[in-house]
Amino acid sequence: MSMIETDHLTKYYGKSRGIMDVSLNVEEGEIFGFIGPNGAGKSTTIRLFLSLIYPTRGKALIFGKDCIQFGAEIRQRIGYLPSEVFYYEGMRVLDLLQYSASFYQKDCTQRLHELADLMELDLKRRIDDLSYGNKKKVGIVQGLLHQPDLIILDEPTSGLDPLMQQKFFNLIREENKRGATIFFSSHILGEVQRLCNRVAIIKEGKIIDIQDIKTLQKNNYKKIEITAEGLDEKRLCIDGVSNIQKMNGTISFFYKGDINAITQLVGAEKIKDLTIENLNLEEIFMHYYE
Amino acid sequence: MNIFFHELRANRKSLLIWCGIVILFNLVGFSKYSAFYENPELLSVLDGMPPALLSALDMNAFNLTTVTGFFGVMVIYFNLILSIAAVMWGSDIISKEERDKTVEFSLTLPITRASLMTAKIAAVIMNCIVLLLVTWGSTLIFAQRYQPDSKFYHFVSLTMLTLLLLQMIFMALGIFLGCVMKKHKQSSSMAVSILLVSYFISIITGLSKDLDFLKYITPFNYFDPAALLHESKLEPIFIVLSLVLIVVSITGAYLSYSKRDLYI
Repeated sequence: MSMIETDHLTKYYGKSRGIMDVSLNVEEGEIFGFIGPNGAGKSTTIRLFLSLIYPTRGKALIFGKDCIQFGAEIRQRIGYLPSEVFYYEGMRVLDLLQYSASFYQKDCTQRLHELADLMELDLKRRIDDLSYGNKKKVGIVQGLLHQPDLIILDEPTSGLDPLMQQKFFNLIREENKRGATIFFSSHILGEVQRLCNRVAIIKEGKIIDIQDIKTLQKNNYKKIEITAEGLDEKRLCIDGVSNIQKMNGTISFFYKGDINAITQLVGAEKIKDLTIENLNLEEIFMHYYE
Repeated sequence: MNIFFHELRANRKSLLIWCGIVILFNLVGFSKYSAFYENPELLSVLDGMPPALLSALDMNAFNLTTVTGFFGVMVIYFNLILSIAAVMWGSDIISKEERDKTVEFSLTLPITRASLMTAKIAAVIMNCIVLLLVTWGSTLIFAQRYQPDSKFYHFVSLTMLTLLLLQMIFMALGIFLGCVMKKHKQSSSMAVSILLVSYFISIITGLSKDLDFLKYITPFNYFDPAALLHESKLEPIFIVLSLVLIVVSITGAYLSYSKRDLYI
């Protein structure tokens, strides 16, 4: 079953663009990455899912139900971590978390304390005394304490130190194993690459590609570096080669196509060194945006 | 229910401050009254003052040497204090979530926007009622030393009823502005401005008979304390008008808030 299903979801703020014709499916049990630069429409899409804002056209279904009409019911099963967390100042962390827990139709007390222990969160402190990173931790505990079926993360790692990030990723993987579907929006591609099964790439409000992360890397460009004496880079200018550069006798380029074409070309040369690797997500990403 | 209690807790400090203001006002007011109390000389002083000034201060209609008459003059200030509190609470209660950027928390909880509004409005009504009861109680306590008669108690009770209506009108107006206005940061200053303008209109209305039609515009004129004292009843047309204002504002607020984008 699709956990999230959008059909030509479009949002304009007055005349300025939010997102245009976003159609995507997130299947049960997936960790779905949603990547794009600032202002591409990631947060807009998420806010539409949560019916904080309403679409200009199109619709979004979550758990197969319209996300506006059944908003409150759907949100029983959603955990949301916004990119910037704001809570009522003057409340203690524990009071806030218990307040949040009181809205869900299950007892969240045990999970609340487990998560707080895991994230090393001091429950006795007041919200206004917390640093940015600690507020984020409150957000993580608050978003996960009711063991949601769908977890929506909007740039979740900002403000967390590397150790905490690691803990957080492990937590997300565990939640995923438990059966939760994850919608992970980020512009930090390394973390998406580590965590996600599939990604959607959004650019200027439009989805430009949705791919399995492995196919995205495999079927796409290879990064090739050749160090060989007397090899003229002009000989390498065949179909599928791009970004060709020569530095200190090493020629590097991106290649998309049959790898044998390259090996035949350079087979006769005296090669000192040769590396062929998949592009990391960052390089693919940059390629999409150039 | 949890939202209701949360809002009561969050608004506790503000409620305490307003209660303090009302009690202080009563304290000062009634101690000033000791100068008027059974003192006919002051009446002649008042007779020498310009009629327009007396009318603006609503001192014409009352015999200031009786505690009932004196309270009649204080009513206009209570009108102002209690409605300012109501309009500020009303405009703040919904829009503060957007102002403090907590909408991404409160409205991603599994509740509908309408149920959130209902709980919040209930909390404001509760606050208004507590403030009204404090006003009522402190008035009765401070008036004790002047041996008020049964007419006084009756007048005070009627006045409290009109104060409640006034609170509800301005609370509803505040809520409406807080829900509708795009610049939510300005909703409470806008609400207070509207309140003050209608207060001044109500003063102007009292100055000339030709301006009598203005009394339909400003809620401060709906229940004239002097008429209330002498006739002991509220005019039905203004009760209806008040209820219409309240219902229209609240309905408008619900419709607008459930349909619009939240500002994040």
